[in-house]
Amino acid sequence: MNNRNLKENRLNNWVSLTFRLGAAVSLALIIIGIIILLITPGAADIQPLVRLDEISAATVISIGILLLLLTPIIQVIITVALFSASKDRLFIGIAIAVLCLAALSFAIALL
Amino acid sequence: MLLCRATPLDGLNLWALGGTGLVAGILGSALGVGGGFLMVPILTLALGLPIKVAIASSLVAIVANSCTAAGIYTKARLTNIRLGLLLETVTIPGAIIGGFIAAVIAPSILSAIFGLALIYAAYTMLTPKQLMYEDNSSANGSMARNIATDNLSASLANSYYDQNLDKIVTYKVNRTPAGLVAGFFSGILSSLLGIGGGVVNVPVTHLIMGVPIKAAIATSTFIITITTAAGALIYHFHGHIYPFIIAPLVIGIIIGARIGVELTQRAGGILLRRIFGVFLIIIAILMFLKTANVI
Repeated sequence: MNNRNLKENRLNNWVSLTFRLGAAVSLALIIIGIIILLITPGAADIQPLVRLDEISAATVISIGILLLLLTPIIQVIITVALFSASKDRLFIGIAIAVLCLAALSFAIALL
Repeated sequence: MLLCRATPLDGLNLWALGGTGLVAGILGSALGVGGGFLMVPILTLALGLPIKVAIASSLVAIVANSCTAAGIYTKARLTNIRLGLLLETVTIPGAIIGGFIAAVIAPSILSAIFGLALIYAAYTMLTPKQLMYEDNSSANGSMARNIATDNLSASLANSYYDQNLDKIVTYKVNRTPAGLVAGFFSGILSSLLGIGGGVVNVPVTHLIMGVPIKAAIATSTFIITITTAAGALIYHFHGHIYPFIIAPLVIGIIIGARIGVELTQRAGGILLRRIFGVFLIIIAILMFLKTANVI
């Protein structure tokens, strides 16, 4: 296996692992939250995230959701690290640009 | 502040939300389109949720769908990570600009124009000549790394094992500048018309850049993860995320995503193109109905 293939395999493995781990941990937290919800009487009213501190089931589910939403961001950061390790300057720049653009779109939407 | 009606999340809603997620997960991951086109109407019309809550819930579910699918697609090396990142650099600015344009012009005319563009893309997907190309893509791409003339093209060339063909498919990425320009405009359109990025990502990467349909679907799924997560975080910041609505949706969609990915990996490229072509026609009809204010 040549050097390029080794680098590609490492990149694919890490990105895949990040996605799968993020989705699996989030799913586990959400299922735990649902179980708490089902065994806790009176906790089933739909509540917004801002009141999550009042209901433990919502807290657990909300942490799972936040982890899920941060997974793609974490994945891009890991990609930057992997490109840095392989000294792929072009794609270090592209991955950092993606992070900056995502941050910019977030900032603009909040204005 | 309670933004949503405080309806008890009874058994029926739980199953309805989970079922919606399951179907959206299968279709969204199999076609690389997320699944929002299905979830938002069901959440608003059938379950009576406010539109912002429905969109926010749909976005979170799409992140769950795309992360699950992208994890499997990437493990199978179907995702072209470099191409995905490169396209992100133009689709995100396009989406930002589309958001500004949407504030000053009515998108109804654009919906009709976009509908026509989708009909053309569907026609291209379904014509016999193009269907034959799908089977030849591996042969065309077999010399990819020899043909590539610059660093970028060489970096974007990729290969994967096709379960249906039982062989390694190697391909190169053609017309990168044209693909980037198309990606920029697709970002504008997706933001302006409120359609998922996958509807345009897949035709752009497949029809313009010559990426095999399976790799195009996987790469589109990868692109959707970050764009949708950014959108969902904005809704989260504004307090439109309702954990008890999202939880059953996410469980359903993650199960659906695994089924959808399995279907895509086993399906033939021609079948996938046909299904995607029909899907584009359905979206085009919805665009025309939107123009006519029917929906």
